Parts: sequence; C-alpha cells; structure tokens
Amino acid sequence: MSDLAATPPLVASSAGRLALYGVAALVVAIELFAGWQAIHPNVPDTYRAYFIDRTTTCLDQPVSGDYLFGSEISFSNGGPLIKPLRVCGWEGPVGNGLHAVGESSRLRFVLPATAHGLSVMVELSAVDMAKDGMPVELVANGTTLGTVEVEPGTPQRFTLPIPDAALSANHRLELELRYPKAIQIDPQDSNTRKRSIKLSAGSITGQS
Amino acid sequence: MTIAQPPIAAVSRIWPLRIPMPVIVALIPAAFVIIGLVIRYFAYAASVPDETLAGFPLGMCRWDCGWYIKIAEKGYDGYPIPNMINAGNWAFFPLMPMFVGLVHFVTQLPTMPLATGLSIGLSYLTALLGWPLLEKNLRAYTLFSAYLLAGPFSIYFTTIYTEVMFILLSTGVLLALKYRSYLAAGGLAALLSATRIVGVIMALAILVQAFLDHRAAGQPLRTFLPAVLKRPDIVLGLVLAPLGLALYMLFLNYWIGDGLAFLHVQRAWARSYGNPVMFVWQALSNMPKTGFIPTASQQLAAAVITGFVLTGVLAWRRQWAAASFALLCLVVPLFGGMASTLRFTAALAPLVLLACELLGTWRIVFGLSLLGFFVADYFVATNWISGALSLV
Repeated sequence: MSDLAATPPLVASSAGRLALYGVAALVVAIELFAGWQAIHPNVPDTYRAYFIDRTTTCLDQPVSGDYLFGSEISFSNGGPLIKPLRVCGWEGPVGNGLHAVGESSRLRFVLPATAHGLSVMVELSAVDMAKDGMPVELVANGTTLGTVEVEPGTPQRFTLPIPDAALSANHRLELELRYPKAIQIDPQDSNTRKRSIKLSAGSITGQS
Repeated sequence: MTIAQPPIAAVSRIWPLRIPMPVIVALIPAAFVIIGLVIRYFAYAASVPDETLAGFPLGMCRWDCGWYIKIAEKGYDGYPIPNMINAGNWAFFPLMPMFVGLVHFVTQLPTMPLATGLSIGLSYLTALLGWPLLEKNLRAYTLFSAYLLAGPFSIYFTTIYTEVMFILLSTGVLLALKYRSYLAAGGLAALLSATRIVGVIMALAILVQAFLDHRAAGQPLRTFLPAVLKRPDIVLGLVLAPLGLALYMLFLNYWIGDGLAFLHVQRAWARSYGNPVMFVWQALSNMPKTGFIPTASQQLAAAVITGFVLTGVLAWRRQWAAASFALLCLVVPLFGGMASTLRFTAALAPLVLLACELLGTWRIVFGLSLLGFFVADYFVATNWISGALSLV
C-alpha cells in the first residue's frame, strides 16, 4: 500500500521534481512527433495503394521485364525466365503453373522498340471451386483488351490483340489480369488470398 | 502478485541440507537450464534424421525464428522489399533481435547458438525476478523456473523469440509496481513497448496501480488526477511506457516513410480483422475430421480461454493492474484472428505467475505439474520441429 501523497525521496527536492517533469515533457513531445509523422506517411504510390489505401491486392515489384520477344514462356516449370516477368499477385509456380492470389495479377514484358501489331496469348485454367467458370479481364498498360471466360480443368488458350496505342514509350508492357469474381475461400480471409485462375503459359507476339 | 503461503517450511522438507536460500534460488533455474536443454535436445534428435549437437540451436529455429535471425544479422528491410516479396520484416518489434544483433556484432558468434544462450540467460533472469513476486514461495518459484526453462513452452523462451524479452520485462514491471517504483516500471514498460506492440498496454497497468494506491489511502476519486500530477515520478513513468513504440515508429518513418508499417504490413500476411468472440467460437467449432485430438484452431482457442479464466482469477483476487494488462494483451491480438494466440498467452507473466502459484499450492499437484512440464517440453518440442500450426 502506498499513498500517492507520500512523496518518495527521488522527488523530494524541487530541482529533482523539475527535472522529472522536464524529461516527461520531452518524452511526450517525442511521442507526439512520432504519432504526427505516423499519420503522415511519405511512401511511394505502390506502397500506399497496397498497404495503406488497400486499393489493390497486387504490390508492384520492381522486376526487370526481360523477355525474349515472341517466345512462349511456360509458367509451370519455375525456370529463370519467369522471375523477371512476375510482378505481383502470383503464388508458385507449382506443377500446373502460377496460381493467382487476390483480385488481380500482373506480368511485365520489355519489348523491342519497334514492336507493333502485338497479340497476347495466355494459357489459363480456373480453380476447381469456380464451377461456373471464372471471368478474367485482360488489361495492357491500362487499356482493356477484353474479358475471357476460363473454365476449370484442362488449360485453355486465349489470344487477344493489343492495340498499338496501348504501347508505352518505354517499351514496357504491363499486362494485368483482373478477377472480378475471385473466390474468397473463407469469410474471414483477406482479399489478398482470393482464388481465381492458374496461368500455365503465355507469350507476346507481333512484328518488330 | 500476492501469495499467502508459508514458504520456508517447504524448503526444509524438500531440501534437508542447510543450503543458503539465495543459493537455492540461484540453483533451481540453473538446474532447469540443463534439464530443459537435455529434453529439447532429445526431442530434436528424435525429430531429425541427422542430428548433431552443433545443429541443435538451428534445429530449434522454426516459423518466425528466421525473421528474427535476419533482423539480428541484417536489420530491417527497406522498400521495395528485398527478394521481391510482399512481407517486409517491419512487423517484428526491434528490442529482442536488436539485442541479439548487438551481441552478435560485438562477439561475432554465430547468431542462433548465441541467441539460444542469450534467451536462456533472459529466462533465468525472469525466474529470479519471479522469486519476490511469488512471495518467496519455493514450490511456485520452482514451477515458474521450470515453466520458463524446461516447460511446455520453453521453445519460446530459449530460442530467439521475442516472448522471452516480453515475459522478462513484464515480470520486471510487475516487480517494480509491487515496490511502487513507478519510474522503474515506466522505464521497463518503455522497453516492453519496443518488444511487442501490446507492451504499450503496460501504461494502463501502471495507471491502474496508481489509482488503486490512491483509493487504498482513502482518497476520493476526484483528487486522483491532481494527486498523480503532483508526483513527477508517476507522470514520467506513465509517459515513458509508450516511448519504445514511439521510437520504433520514428525509425520506420525514417527508414521507409511509414511509421505504422508494423501495422500496415499485416496485409501481406493476409490478416483480416473481426470480432474476437467470433474468432474464438469459430476456432472452437473447428472439429477434427478424424480421431479425438483437437485441431490446431481448438488448441489455440483452449489457450485463449485458459488465459481468460486466469485473468478472471486475477480480477477476483483484486490484482487489477495485472488483470487489466493480461486482459488487454489477450483481447487486442484477437481482433486480428487466432494466429499465435497460444504463444501470446504462454508469455503473459501475470498469468504464468498465477498458474505456477496455484499449481504449487498442493504438494502432489506440484509434483505432477513439474513432471508434466518436462513431458510436455519434450512433446511440444517435437511438434515444434515438425511444424505444428498451433505453436506458430
């Protein structure tokens, strides 16, 4: 038992008391400054979109996009050709390819400067839970290419043209796959864990 | 902790030799250091095909252990995150890995054996701090020491997990509050809030203790705030408690521009937030598909419920400071689901001290508990190595 009015020796002198109050004020100032800074984050847009605003489930990773133009990439074997292309929204690869997680996934391709008249080919299969199929919207550099309906089971190939107007000055093609009906396995699951499709192969072809 | 039990009588019966009490107090946890190491080594040897003594510390490194080692050796991730993954290591609070990293930097000893030694040392220190808190009750003290060093959850207190620092510092705060040293309590709480985010809750326990002291002295409620403000040691103790967290936030802001990165990065672990009651109920309802062994979810729920029951006992005993700390430390993580709740509960000092005191009340229960701790240490360690989900 201790009465708060009973002053301990540590704070008996007025100088000691003043020092303690001074340190307390300094500590509070540090904590307030930390709090103020914390509610005013200074982060890149990609960080903000994924971690703070939660407007995307796909955290942009700085992959190079190195790609041999026209070649078909197998996403099932986990080879070194995949790593420069997979930006975000993928798990694996496992035997049947990269598994999409979240509400969108992205691939990055660096193309020849003269590339034009392009088409994108993706080989997809829906997850088994998607018994009625899984719509996938393909978007290249922000331009919607179209929506394909992917069935579970045997992988299906889809080829869509990419308008020349969608190509960027830096010769990079950001291919986004959006899953408006991605499945939440458990009601408690985060939307970053939604399931939709598996990607087993892909290519960008055209003239250069 | 207030324990009404004649302690010294038990000494003479258990140890007939005239050994000075300080020596006994020092030797008990020392014995459990050795016993625990032997038990866990046998568990390790039984679980891996190519066991070696040198490989033992790393062999006990599971789940988050790798994250702590990386922080100790290389520090915190920048942004973009190396290896192009979504999960930066900012969720892991700095004090324990920083402590290991600092000693590693000075000694250049391999990290995991070093962390094992340091964790055991911290557990030993925790046991010693428990002695006065357990009112020098030798049976309770023996159980507390065994729990830390050779008990069912010794894996958390003898590897590199932050739990060992958490239980050490929270035991320290409880001890400081017992002696009404508010400044020491605040200083230790500041370290606690740099150990795990819930460490900041200790500020509430300090405030509750001050309030109880005020009321116990017959002072009216309305004079509490002025009375506290007249005590600069209490004021400083209270404001010190969140300082560890604040400094970590400042560091994160400097390092990656987001002082709340430790919270925001939970998204990369797909943590969703919801109603704690529903989380516990769903975990309990997750029945095993075959057999009678409870599922990992049920084990986690059982741990949390046990925690709440013990917290209730603390409240019933009017140990409000400890009870308020334990209650919030149990409830707050539950908003993020059941993950790691067993680990969190197992490292709550007020609950562990209370449980050891209760189990030490009767000699037969004490003996069985001690034996049970050793057996559980072995089996939990084997499950730990094989990756049991409830232990994450």
